[in-house]
This record gives sequence, structure tokens and C-alpha cells, in this order.
Amino acid sequence: MKKVLTISLMALGLFAAQAFASDAVKIAITGPFSGGSAPMGISMRNGAMLAVSEINARGGIDVDGHRMKIQVIERDDEGKNARGALVAQELASMSNLSGVIGTVNTGVVLAGDRYLQQKGITKIITPAAGSASMTQWSKAGVKNLSIFRFSADDSIQAAMVVKEAIDRKLTKVAIFHDTTNYGVSGREDLLQQIKKQGNKLKVVTTEKFNIGDKDMTAQLLRAKLAGAQAILIWGIGPEMAAVANGMAAMGMKLPLIGGWTISMSNFINNAGKNGNGALTPQSFIEEPITPMAKRFINEYHKTYHVSRIPSPMSAAEGYDAVYVFAAAVKQAKSTDTHKIKEALEDLRAPVKGVIATWRHPYSKWNPANERTHEAFHRDQVVMGMVKNGRIVFAHESDKQRLIKEAHGENSK
Amino acid sequence: MAVEAVLTTTILDRIYREILYAENKLTMWKRLLLVRGAEIVVFLLLTAIPLEINNAYALGLLTLLAVYGILLIGLDVTVGYLGQINLGHTAFLGLGAYAAGLSVSYLGFGVLGALGLSLVVGLVFGGILALPALRLEGPQFALATLSFSALTVTTLNEWEGLTNGAQGLQVARPDLFGLQLNAQNFYWLCLIFLALVWLVMRNLLSSQWGRAFEALRDSPIATDAMGIGAYRHKVAGFAIGSALGGLAGGLYAFNFQYLQPQTFVYDLMIILLLGIVLGGRKSLWGAFVGASLIALLPNLLSSRIVFQTLSILGFLLAFSAGARCLVKKKTKPFQAIAPIVAMGTLVIGSLVVKNTEDWRQAIFALMLFSVVVGLPEGLMGFASHFLAQLFRLAPPSLPEASPLDTVLVNKPVDGEALLELKNLKRYFGGVKAVDGISLSIRSGQIHGLLGPNGSGKSTVVNVISGLYPPTAGEMLLHGKPLPTGSLFKVSRVGISRTFQNLQLFAELTALDNVMVAMKGVYRSVLPLVLLGLIKEEEKRAQADSLALLTLVDLKDLARSKAKDLTYGAQRFLEIARALARKPDLLILDEPAAGLAHPDVTRLVEIIKRIHQQGVSIILIEHHMDVVSELCGMVTVLDGGKIIADGSPDEVKRHPKVIEAYLGTPDDEAAKALPASDAPLLA
Amino acid sequence: MYALIVTQMVVSGVLMGLIYALIAYGFQLTYATSKSINFGQGELVMVSAFFSLTLLNVGVPYWLMVPGGMLFGALLGLVVERAGVRLALEQKSEGWILMTIILGLFAFSVAENIWGRDDRPFPTPISSNPIQIFGIHITPVEISVAIGVFALMGMIELFKRKTLLGKAFEAVSADRDAAELMGISATRTIMLSYGLSGVVAALAGILIAPITTVGPTMASALILKAFSVAVVAGLDSGFGVVVIGMTLGALESLTSFYLGSGWREAPGLILLILALAIRPMGVFGKASIRKV
Repeated sequence: MKKVLTISLMALGLFAAQAFASDAVKIAITGPFSGGSAPMGISMRNGAMLAVSEINARGGIDVDGHRMKIQVIERDDEGKNARGALVAQELASMSNLSGVIGTVNTGVVLAGDRYLQQKGITKIITPAAGSASMTQWSKAGVKNLSIFRFSADDSIQAAMVVKEAIDRKLTKVAIFHDTTNYGVSGREDLLQQIKKQGNKLKVVTTEKFNIGDKDMTAQLLRAKLAGAQAILIWGIGPEMAAVANGMAAMGMKLPLIGGWTISMSNFINNAGKNGNGALTPQSFIEEPITPMAKRFINEYHKTYHVSRIPSPMSAAEGYDAVYVFAAAVKQAKSTDTHKIKEALEDLRAPVKGVIATWRHPYSKWNPANERTHEAFHRDQVVMGMVKNGRIVFAHESDKQRLIKEAHGENSK
Repeated sequence: MAVEAVLTTTILDRIYREILYAENKLTMWKRLLLVRGAEIVVFLLLTAIPLEINNAYALGLLTLLAVYGILLIGLDVTVGYLGQINLGHTAFLGLGAYAAGLSVSYLGFGVLGALGLSLVVGLVFGGILALPALRLEGPQFALATLSFSALTVTTLNEWEGLTNGAQGLQVARPDLFGLQLNAQNFYWLCLIFLALVWLVMRNLLSSQWGRAFEALRDSPIATDAMGIGAYRHKVAGFAIGSALGGLAGGLYAFNFQYLQPQTFVYDLMIILLLGIVLGGRKSLWGAFVGASLIALLPNLLSSRIVFQTLSILGFLLAFSAGARCLVKKKTKPFQAIAPIVAMGTLVIGSLVVKNTEDWRQAIFALMLFSVVVGLPEGLMGFASHFLAQLFRLAPPSLPEASPLDTVLVNKPVDGEALLELKNLKRYFGGVKAVDGISLSIRSGQIHGLLGPNGSGKSTVVNVISGLYPPTAGEMLLHGKPLPTGSLFKVSRVGISRTFQNLQLFAELTALDNVMVAMKGVYRSVLPLVLLGLIKEEEKRAQADSLALLTLVDLKDLARSKAKDLTYGAQRFLEIARALARKPDLLILDEPAAGLAHPDVTRLVEIIKRIHQQGVSIILIEHHMDVVSELCGMVTVLDGGKIIADGSPDEVKRHPKVIEAYLGTPDDEAAKALPASDAPLLA
Repeated sequence: MYALIVTQMVVSGVLMGLIYALIAYGFQLTYATSKSINFGQGELVMVSAFFSLTLLNVGVPYWLMVPGGMLFGALLGLVVERAGVRLALEQKSEGWILMTIILGLFAFSVAENIWGRDDRPFPTPISSNPIQIFGIHITPVEISVAIGVFALMGMIELFKRKTLLGKAFEAVSADRDAAELMGISATRTIMLSYGLSGVVAALAGILIAPITTVGPTMASALILKAFSVAVVAGLDSGFGVVVIGMTLGALESLTSFYLGSGWREAPGLILLILALAIRPMGVFGKASIRKV
């Protein structure tokens, strides 16, 4: 009896998910909307939803002469792999889904994307940055891939972090990372980049911390004893803040250079003035330097009643990803996910986003080069710096370059 | 070769005899049809679903349901049967998962080999963890298992060379005998394992093992004192439950094909515990329903329509049930009102809240809250009462009681010394509870042990029965040294006892209380138990136990739970249970304490009947009339020493005894009462 | 230099351990009277901290916010007792474990939706600039935590020993049935203990918030440590938690220094299992003689 009931409920659930208006472009947005990674997931979703409502306000996407609105299915993966896999299975079994955007945790990507790839459903990963998200496909030698990424991935970031340290004439560094997938693969990327850039940095110690750790004294003392001149750090906001605060409490003043997560408000808030000077590669800085950025930031603040975006990069990447996806739908003249994939691999019209203007972000998948499905290149990422509770441009030259580019776009 | 042949004939022989023993009564068929029928229907239905619905998501959910089913059946052994809060089950899931994944990639194992390894890994680590956790109960046990689980995750995370640490392990899913395990085939494989686990565990848990687990939960002391063995059953139960956790882990690994240590943490454990309690403890169906809930519900709540329907249905259900209970005053008001409030909140929420995805966990929590408050025995606990009433299912019939003489074989009484105590001492710190007692108990005697409160008589029997080791002195049974400091060992050499403060297995029926202690019936090895080929000895144990229940006039209450019996009946049940050990020497520790007068008369009758079967008895008692009537020999203790020894009449007149009970001889009270019928009251 | 480093680590670890101890003390209060604990204690800490932050944000001065937050904590404690514990205790079941877990889940989700999923700083008038004492760096915030822990625990222990209500509390802890025979209401006393436990949780939230910041997950990692400390110390031992908490904190600090930070928790966990195996009732718990 119970079973019959459950199954009928399940059937109901499946039908319910499919009970959409037929003249809409259906996309799913997935990410952790609850739990520890939620600040990133929520920012990404909110950014994406801003783009969706802007597009819908203009009447929708022009699909082969029809104006079709975007309809969004949200799924909370809680940042948990098993749940992520089930969400992916659910999405994979939906009949007329055009695509999927999202996912924050690299582990969830690794657990779930396989189901989407099996069905050939187009997915744009954003903002999960772990390298394995894409390298898993090149390692497996997949010929035809429906998974794309729209995020400043860790290999770009690690390269910039290492370069920054070298440019600052540092020679001895400590690597700090958390014990999650993100932290550990960040460590690997850093080590690889140090080697690649000519072994100019000597890693004097590698220290770990767990999610939730507040006392970093031991790790910092080990770094101090080993004579580290800077800390390269890969983790998420609260623990990195604990590192910054721990340094201040012990009177240590080492530069902190780390992954994009330093821009999360939970780092900036928690570290307060102790976070000043921390450097981090950013694809988007919450500074209204261009008209696009200004509008986006204002809209976000207004719509979601905040004075600062919890994770500005996630929000901006989510926003731009929706526009890139919409452009592909328009070019494909279809809501069919396979055709959208083809269009994404050869996107002809430039897409004006808040991070940059995207020109041909992807190309035909080549298992030997996963960058064919990576949208971001080195130039779209700048070095940001924490300053009095904000992320600002670390190098004025980057800021001027972006303003000039945006200006150039406008005058075209 | 020869061993195999013998084994085959044994099994065939068993099956043949099982058939002979099968009853063909109508009620039994009805029972079989309904209970087994439901199982078969559900499994057939589950098997058939992929043929009808070829939907990856549905298949994914059902696979998870099967995996969680196995996992929860395992968890139910520790949480339901052993009654411990086990927070380490996810560790075994993780260990099993990694064992399977690694054995495939490094050792080239096939699917079945890898799953076998997962099972063994769970079994071994479960056994290891059980060792330090053995003495622990409640929060302490919970913490020990929680720490083990944290340690496991740390190790899996840090041992990067083997497990690839936090970056996760990709797991390949090899073919099974050339059959490609696609989603559908793999689901069926999981289902086969669930069915196997179901059958095996049903056999195990309805056998002596299951009774022993429950006995252990209700009273570890009595479990040892009845020769069942708390130690071995706790280890076994924990190891078996963990082995299932490991097996589920293997399936989990092949299902998701990607493992990360962080998956197996506290959060998941909490969900599993919720599943067990929601479904209903001590029930395979309960574990299954719990698994369905935790596998399906969180994923289904994403759909707004499902959520709205569920909350409205839930509200109506809570409202109608709650209102009925309130009117009939069947439950406490809180139990009726709280679910209504919770479900009402949900209904309002489902209409007001903009984005249900954000509130998913709160919704889940409110639903759980309503179920836990409204149905404390879980969904299946509730459903089984309901269904039993609906179909008027009578419990299975009982066999005829064995003749008492075949159960308690009348032993020749030689009047020789059965138990000898030589200068026995037991000190607690500075307190000399027993201070040099020498005593001889002859076979065939009812030996009374008297003394005022604190005189040391309870300590004496606690030392004899092995609860405390003696501080000094010698104890001989049949002239051989008696094991000391172990209730279990003492009970195995033929001394059995009752307890002054009842130590019944409260959740077991009267019959099971006796059956679980029954000596010399259970001979089958574990494989036969798992295959369920033990009906013959179960019948024998039932028949023998009924004989003992008849002896204490409790035959008609055989199916009542011990906790539901009257106080007097509980005292008698303890005696029957102690007799199931077929002891040479029975120690009755204040059996008449708190009994009403008619019950005392019955008690005297019962003890006489037991004595007639040739059982020697030590009787600790305050009621002088009971002692006078029954005992041939009485020893009186005071201050841990013997002050008098002899026949009841002699002892009653002994000046030291009168002094111990009533004060000094020239005390007013002593003078006022004629010595002969001075009531020896404590 | 080396000695100084070790001392610094022990000091930092001990201060962290005091936080564990304070939260652990909340477990002990309720266990003493009712043999039950609130598995949602972490959420109680978190929600109280959020509430106190809201008080500050609407302009309530700090010195008024502290009692306000504690009062709110007491209320929440009473809610937990009424909704999650009382029924189970009346039925003599262990349903309180799940009920408190469920209430915790609910509180977590509600807090996420009311206050957001982000961590927020908690303003405090106490400086977080380090001061140096004999070469050891320590921040006034950390000192305030230590003082708060001892002050609150001292006050509650005094209350238990010196007031009539407190003596009732002790009586129910010692022997519930006997206390009821003497006319003490066990139900009321259990309510009191949950209320007090809520006060402790709220104060813990307010004290540690400047260090951990305020967010839905602020106490999730701490709560498991606190649970360990409470059980290892012995669930009936008042000041045992302080000793065990400080030991565990220092041990963690030292192992991450000597063994590498990945294994930070491992020795603590092993010692914990061993301690329990050797002294099931906790290091400072009262061992009871088995009576039948």
C-alpha cells in the first residue's frame, strides 16, 4: 500500500516537474542553496535570475521568429555529492529541458555531470572552479561533450597567484588549504604552476585546515618557523578569515594570496581590517567601473535587499552565463539541447556581459585541450585586493584596461 | 568432499523435517499469505517498475532506496535491537564504499568480489569498534561511534596515496559475468541484494540471536546471568549491522561511481537515524519504509505541487486523527495538537512562501516532527497495529507444552555438599560487606539466607553468581572451584538466579523471556540460522518454555510483553526464566518482596514444585512464614558475618538473631514479644 | 623561542577549549536533571547569536543586548523542552534524541531564510587587537571569552548550591524519584535546566560570535567537539568540562603543530575512545557500583 502510494507520488512529482507551459525555454539552475556553500550558490542563482528576468522583461528569446520566455527550475544540491547526482538524474530524465546552469562544488560536478553527458544535455558549469570538472572528460577521452564551463577556473587562478608572488620578488611561500576537494585540488594546481613557472618559489610548508576550524595558531606558527614570506591560500571565506585573524592576533604580517573565494563577503566581513591587502584573482569586482557593471550591481542590491553581494564573482558569472546560453538558443533557433550545444561551440554574435564581452567563448570540443569548452582566458581575470571591506583592483592598469575595453565596446 | 556430502545431507534432512513440522492451520496460511504476500508483492512491484517506466531519475531514486534499505536494516540491528545510539554507521558505509572502489581499481576485483570485500570490511571494523565500545551505553556509546566515524573520514581524507583524498575517487562499474551493468541491471542487482539481506536478517532476527539482541538491550546484567552472553552478542550484533553497512557502501560506490570522504559525515548519519525511527524500529518493513522516506522525500519536496498535496493531506490526517484522540482522550493533548500545528504551518507555508526550494529543510523538519510526535513507534509500528486489527491476524499458534519432567530432569539428590563457601570476603573500599563467611549448601536443600538490611546477604549471592569478584576466600561447586567475577561463566556451570530488583527483558514477551534463556536447545550453526532452517528447535524451545510458564501459572500470558504483566506475574516470570537454565542451584533473591498475600501463597507452591524436580535452592527472604515453611536449613547474617545456623526453629530462638533484628535482649520490644513468633521483619 | 612557541600554542588551544567547555556545560545542565541532551544545542547557540546581532542592529546598546540575548536563549530552551523533550520523557522513551535533532534542522533552515546564509561580523566593544603578555599574543576578545565562561559557570554553580531552587535542581539530579517524593516537581526542574541551558547557549553565542562570526553554520563544528568534551568529562561533572575542554584544545593545537594539520583531530579522537573505554562514566564522572 505504502509503496503504491510512494510510487504514485513520485509519478506525480515527475509530471509536476514536466507540467510547464510548452512555449518556454526551460533551463535548470542548480547549486547549494542551503548549508555552508550557500553564499556562493545563492549569489550565482540570484545573478542568473536577474538575467532571466531582464530577458523575459524584453519578451523573451527570439527563437526562430517566436519570442519565448525562459522558465527556470531550481534545484538545491546542498553541496552534497549524492544529492547532486540525484538532481542531475532528475534533470537528465526531464523530456524537454534546454540546458542546465550552475553547480558550485567540484565534487558535485564530478558526481552528477556524468548523467547529463550521457543524455547529451547541455550544461554550463558556473562557478565551480576545480580543474577536475573539465579534465575528467579529457582524461576519459570523450569525443562529444555537452558540458561547458563558465568560470575563472583554478588553473588560471593558480597561475596568477604564483605569478603575483614571483612578481613580488618572494622566494619562500607556505601553502594553506582546506581539506575539501576544492582546497586539495587548489594545492595541486599551485604546485603545478610553481613548477611550470620555473620553480622560482620554494614551498616551505603545506598546511591544512578543516571546515569550521577557528584556531589556526599551529599552522601559522609552523609557517613562521619555516620562514615563509607569504601564504598562498585555497579555502573558503570563514576559514581563510580565521587565518587572517590568526596572523593579526600573533602579530604576523605575511601577504595572503589566494583563490577567488577571498572575495566572498564572509571572508571580508570576518577578517575585517585584518583582511586588508589580501590578493585574489577576480573575474568581477563589485566596483561600478563600467555602465554595465553599475547597472548590474544596483539591480542586485535593489532586488535582493543587500548592500553587498555575498559572492560577487558567482553572481556575475551566473548572470553572464545566462546571457551566453540565451545567445546560443537564439543562434540554434531551437530549444533542443543538442542544437544549443552545437551553437555554443560556435557562438557567432558577441555577447555583452557584465564581466566582459564574450566573443566566441567556446569551440568544438577537443579531448586533448579542455580549454575548448572553457570560456575564461587569462585576460578576463584581474588581480583584486581587499581594502577596507571591499575588493578593489590590485593593479590600476587592469582597471583602466577594462574601462577602455568597455568604452571601446560602447563606441562600436 | 566428505564434509560437503555431510553438509548437503544435513541440509536436505533439515528441509524434510521442516516440511513435517509445518502446520497447516488456516490462521497460519492467512498469516503467511498476508505477511509473505505483502513482501512478495512489493518486491515484484519493485522489480517490474523499470520494465514499465524507463526513467533515469526514477531508477536512480529506486536504486538509492534499495541501497538505503540494506543500510538501514543494518543500522536497525544496533539502534532497534541493541537499543544503542549508533552514530558510526556512515563510517562503515564509507569503508565499504572505498573497499569496493579500491579493490576494483587496484586489485581488479569483479563486482561480486568487491561487494564481498565491502561486507567483510564492515564486519571486521564493526567487530573492532565494538571492543572498546562494549562497556558503553547511551551518550557514551554514541560518542565513541561518532569519534570512530570522524576518525574514518579523517583517515580516508588524509591517506591521499590510496584514496586520492578529498579530490575523490572515480569508481568503475565492472561487468557482472559479461553482463553490462547499466542503470537498469544495476538496480536489479541492488534489489536482489536487498531481498537476500531481507531474508537472511528475517531469519536471524526471529531466531535466538534476535531475542538475545533484544535481551541485551533491556538488561545486559540478566543477559549474562542467563548464560546468553552480553559480550558476544553485542560484538556480533554490531559486526553484523556494520557488515550490512559495508555491503550497502559497496553498492553505493558502484551506484554513484564517485566517492569523497566528506560524504560520510554526521549530516548523513542524522538522516539515517531519522529514517530508522520514522519507519519504525525493530522491523524490516520499518527500515524499508524509512529508506523510502529518506531517499524519496527530500528529492520529491522540490516539486511544489507534491509539497502542497503532501502538506494538505498531512494536515487533514493529523487533524482527523488528532481530533479523534482528543475527544477520546487516548493520547496526551500535546501529541494530538502538535502535529496539527506543524502541518497547519506547512499548509500556510506552502501557500505563502515564494521559493519552496529555499525552505526545503524546514519543510522536511516539520513533516518529520509531525510523524515523530504523532506516531512514536514509527510509520510501520503504527501500520502493523492497524493492519493486524484490520485483518484480525492472530499470532501464530503455540505448540503443546512439553512434559515438565523432560525440561527439568529430576536429578538424584545425594545430600552431599553442592556449594561450599570458605572464608568468603567482599569489601567495598572500607566497607566489609561480607567478612569471612563459610557455608555449605547441600544438594536437594532449600537453604534460607536471612539477615537485616545491610547484613551482606545480597552481596553474598552477588559474589556467588559472579556479579562481583570476591575480595578473598574460596567457592566450590561440586568440589570444583567456581568461576568468579563473571555472571556469564557462573550461569554456564549450573547456577541460576533471580533478581531482587526485577531484571526482566521488558520488551520481550513472557514466552520469549523464557526462550531466550533456554539451555541446551539451540544447537544450529549460524548458516542454518541464516537460512531459516531451525523451525524444529524453535518449536522445541517454545514447548519447553511453555512447560516452565505452566509451572509458574503464566501459560495464558505467554504472548504478553513482560512490561505489561502485573508485578506478581513479573516475579514469577523471573523464576521461570531462571529455571530455563536448568540449574543445579537456583538462587531466589527476595522473591516475595512486594507481593500481595495471595501471590505469596502461590509463590510458596511454585517453590515447592521446583524443589520436587530436584533443584537445590538458596532463598533470600524476609517473610519468616515463607522461610519456615520451605527451608530445611537457615543461615542468618549480620554485619557480613554468620551469626546463626540451623533449622528455622533453632534459628528463631537464637539470641543473637533476636538481638540483630530487635535490638539488645533487655530491649523493651524484645521482652514484649514471645521469642517463638517474633516476626523477623526488616 | 621554541618554548615560547609551544606556550603560545597551548594558550591558543586552551582558549579554544574554553569555548568547547562553555557549550559542553549546556549539555550537562540538562543531562543532570533529565538524562537528556539537546542535540540541537548548536542551533540554539546560532539562533541566539543571530537574535543578539539583530538587537544590536536595531540600536540596542551592547550592555542591554547581552541580557536580552540570554533571555531569548532561555525562551528557546523552554521551547525545546516543551516541544521536543517533555513528551519523550513522559513516555520514558529516547524520542528526545530525534525530536531535538529535528528542531535543530528546523531552526537551521528558518535561520537561513530569515537572516540569510552568509556569515556576518558581530560588533563588540572589546578590542581584537592583540596584546603581549610575556611574549604571548592574546586578544582581549579571547580573554573576555575566558572570563565569561568562568563567570557564568561560577554563577550557575553558586545558584545550584546556595538557593532553594538550585537545591531542588541538585536534588532532582541526584535522585529524581526521591526528589518527587519530597514534593519537588521534576518537570519544573527540568524546565529550569533547559532554560539555563538556553542561557548558557546564548551567552556562548554572544561571546564566540566576534571570533567565529555569525552564520547558520557557526556552531556546527564546535558542537561535536563540545559534545565530546561533555561526555569525556562525565555528563554529571560541573567543572570537569573546563579541564577536559582546555586539554582537548591544547592537544589539538599541539598535534597540528607536531603531526601536521591534516591529522589535527586524530589523536584527540583516539584518546577519546580510549578514555571512554577505560572510564565509561567520564573522567570526572561518578562511577556507580552495579546493583541488582
